[in-house]
Amino acid sequence: MKNIQHKETEFIALTPKNTRYKIKNLFTDSLKINHKKLDIQIFDDENGFTYLLYKNKKYHAEIIEKNQNKYIVLINGVSYTFTIETPFSYQRKKYLDKQKPKNKVEVVQAPMPGKIIDVLVEPGAEVKTGEAVIILEAMKMQNEIVSPVDGKIVKVYVRQNDIVNKDDLFLEIAR
Amino acid sequence: MKIKSLMIANRGEIAIRICHTAKKMGIKTYGIKTSKEPNAYYLSFPDEIIDFSDDIEDIPEFLDVERLINAAKAHKIEAIHPGYGFLAESPYFANRCEEEKILFIGPSADIIHKMGNKTIAKQLAKKYNVPLLKGSQGNVKNPEEARKIAKSIGYPVILKAAAGGGGRGMRIVEKDDQLEKMFRLATSEAEKAFNDGSVFIEKYVRNPRHIEFQVFGDQHGNYIHLGERECSVQRKHQKLLEEAPSSALDEKLRTEMGEAAIRIAQSVKYYTAGTVEFLLDQDRNYYFMEMNTRIQVEHPVTELVTGLDLIELQILTALGEKLPIGQSDIKLTGWAIECRINAEDVQAGFSPFLGTIEKIQYPKSKNIRIDSGITDKSVVTPYFDSMVAKLIVTGEDREKAIANTFNALQKFWVKGIKTTIPFHKAVLSNEKFKKGDFNTSFIETEMESLFYQGGDDEMLGAFLATFDFLATLETEDSRTVDFEKGRNISPWVLNKRLK
Repeated sequence: MKNIQHKETEFIALTPKNTRYKIKNLFTDSLKINHKKLDIQIFDDENGFTYLLYKNKKYHAEIIEKNQNKYIVLINGVSYTFTIETPFSYQRKKYLDKQKPKNKVEVVQAPMPGKIIDVLVEPGAEVKTGEAVIILEAMKMQNEIVSPVDGKIVKVYVRQNDIVNKDDLFLEIAR
Repeated sequence: MKIKSLMIANRGEIAIRICHTAKKMGIKTYGIKTSKEPNAYYLSFPDEIIDFSDDIEDIPEFLDVERLINAAKAHKIEAIHPGYGFLAESPYFANRCEEEKILFIGPSADIIHKMGNKTIAKQLAKKYNVPLLKGSQGNVKNPEEARKIAKSIGYPVILKAAAGGGGRGMRIVEKDDQLEKMFRLATSEAEKAFNDGSVFIEKYVRNPRHIEFQVFGDQHGNYIHLGERECSVQRKHQKLLEEAPSSALDEKLRTEMGEAAIRIAQSVKYYTAGTVEFLLDQDRNYYFMEMNTRIQVEHPVTELVTGLDLIELQILTALGEKLPIGQSDIKLTGWAIECRINAEDVQAGFSPFLGTIEKIQYPKSKNIRIDSGITDKSVVTPYFDSMVAKLIVTGEDREKAIANTFNALQKFWVKGIKTTIPFHKAVLSNEKFKKGDFNTSFIETEMESLFYQGGDDEMLGAFLATFDFLATLETEDSRTVDFEKGRNISPWVLNKRLK
């Protein structure tokens, strides 16, 4: 497996909304994105910032999370999520996605760290989209956490006065 | 009267801001060091640091009245500046200072109490002929009473904490069947936030503008106003971007509202810096909301259009000096915009983004002012607010100020955390905002996207991610690096060699 010719390989950067960026000839002068020849340069400046230079404009760039082929990057402070695929792994992913059953359970997670002030529902309760299910206090504000779907509460993971971190599970709702 | 020493019972950018003026006035400053951020940037500005970092008390340091007072006495400090937040509007703290013969930089405890209690403040406004919204005479005790009043003034109504401020303890009720739940939420939030669960009810104005007037009074019966600030760009009642002046006011309305603001100040013989908040409805009727008896976060926009140092005027009038200027001396020149740049993830509902700020790079120009309490390697902690910096930019007129602010934001880079910079760019490039045609519902109704994206940004992100992915693969492919032929060198290294 030594010295795979990556330079000639095409890669696909895939967004969660399935927008595809086909990237070819990286590290060469003939970089192509979606079949268009582009000149993008990457620099580390003397102050420790990384930026991209494209069409004479500087774009502040930063990788904030990476895990194997999954990336979250910032361009001018806005984050973008990608999975990097080869044409082969992309075909396999498409096939596997088709096989996957549609997930019918919606999970509600903590949008920010905070304290649970009130849990307004119990397992078995019917909720409507937009209905408040939990009151979360964060940054001294009480926030209503609302149901993202119409459904029935399956499980409640938190109780009043619990301290939660971002992305902690609140509850599961079956559609 | 003059003082030689001042304790700053606050942190972050406002502690630094106060230090600058105190130094200019020849006053020695004392800062408070806490265990929550013992290496904070603001600590490098005061002349002396008082160490509260041993954590002997359960009360947060900047709320610990007796400890602050004892420290002031131990160091023979003559005055305390509370900044904003914390004890800035605590009548109890102002009173304790008075008892201990320490000068509180702010109005008297009695004035803070009257203006801090919205029910009393509204009665004073009524007496002094300042327009008010219809609502309850004083607090409402239960949902039934609230319902009766709501029916008489008509929905929508708003429930507000009598001791409130900053959007806490406020609930809008659109329909009768929501009233009971909202009443419960408002009272519990008020109880928690202010130790006082009492709420009042008033008519809710849909889509008003939030306009506030900066006023000053001295202890000799002189009052001035420094024009208005436009604070309608709010999210959940939290101000995010302010400007001075406001595009909603003309000279006639400015004079009229300024005079009303001064009448509010007169009603309590107000002295030092204060802010009178108004709602302006779509027919340009204005209503008194509340008076803030502190220096405001957004005071720099007023400083930049008036050329005055508001902290200096605040200290002077607290000391009992006469106001050095009269109303006719105040000229508003140009336009100023302030962006509150917070460590928040706009793409995740403005949730706090905690972490270490690795690097920060400010834009630099004659028309740019940065008030910030952080520097490289500062940590955004969950203990305090999420403010990174206030970016304040001026221009000859509104259009130029908007363009200058947008350009400044392009050069404002923060590494290590996400900030609200993309949000501010989105506001400044919004057509309605540019026309000055907006109100407090702007963020919910007029912004297609809460963050600004250039057309090529996602594609560039794809490039960056793929570039790094491939670079990582290449490094893992072989441990042998051949510098001669340039084979298997990390592309990051290679790139630097090519430069």
